[in-house]
Amino acid sequence: MRKRNKFYWFEGVTEKGVKALLNDENSKYRWLRPQRNRRVLVILMGIGLVLTSMGSYWPTLKTNLNIDSGVGLIIYSVTAVFVILAILGGYSFLRIAVRSIADAPDELLDERQIAVRNTSFRYAYFILGYILMGLMVLILFGPELQMFQDEGNDGSFVVVATLFACASLPSMVMAWRERDI
Amino acid sequence: MSRNPEEPVYNRIEEARTALGLSRQDLADKAGVHYQTIGYLEREEYSPSLVLALRIAKSLNQEVSELFSLNPFKKGK
Repeated sequence: MRKRNKFYWFEGVTEKGVKALLNDENSKYRWLRPQRNRRVLVILMGIGLVLTSMGSYWPTLKTNLNIDSGVGLIIYSVTAVFVILAILGGYSFLRIAVRSIADAPDELLDERQIAVRNTSFRYAYFILGYILMGLMVLILFGPELQMFQDEGNDGSFVVVATLFACASLPSMVMAWRERDI
Repeated sequence: MSRNPEEPVYNRIEEARTALGLSRQDLADKAGVHYQTIGYLEREEYSPSLVLALRIAKSLNQEVSELFSLNPFKKGK
C-alpha cells in the first residue's frame, strides 16, 4: 500500500516535499545550494520586499504616472501583480534553497537541522522587531496610508510586504548564514 | 554550528567510517541523520547530543569514548 503524503498544515509543507529536498532527489535546484547564490537570492528578495512596500507610496512619489486615469491605473495594477508574483517566486526559491528546513517540523529533521532552524528563527525574530520598528516610524512620520480606499496611498502593499517578510525571514537568515545546506 | 564553540568535541568518526568502507550517506542512514550532519561532525563544526553520539558509535561498532573526546586525538592512535 502506498504511504500517504502527510501534509503539515501549520508549517505549510508536505512530508514528501521536505524529504525530496533533503535527499537531493531533484537536481534541477542544485544551483541554489552554494552560499553565494543563496545570498544573491536573499538580497534580491530584500530588494523585492522594499519595492513592494514602495508600491504603497507610489501615488505620492514623484512619478509621472497618474493612477487616477484608466491607463495609469492599469499599469499600476499590472505592475503590482507582477511584483507580488516575483516576491512569491522568490519566497518559493528561498524555501527550496534551504531545503524547507526553516519550515519543516521536528520529526522530519535531525538534531543539527533543528538547531540551525531554531537559531534562524531567533535571528529572524530580532530582525522582524527592527522591521516593525521602522514601519512604526514610517507610519507615524511618513505619508499617510489608506486601507481599502479609492484614493490616496494604498497601505495594502506595506501589509503584503510585511507578511511576506514574516514568512520568509527565517529562510532568508538560514540561506545567508549557513555554509552548507 | 556547535553546542559550545569554546569547548569543541573532537572525534574520530571519519577514521572509523573509512575503516569500515562506509560513505557519509551510509553512516547518515545508519545513524538517522542527514549526510551533511556527518560532514559537520567530521569537521568538528558541530558537537552531537549524547543520543546521537551513542547512535554513531553503535553504527561504527565502537565505544563512545573511543570516538569522542574533549581533548584532541593523537594522530595514528
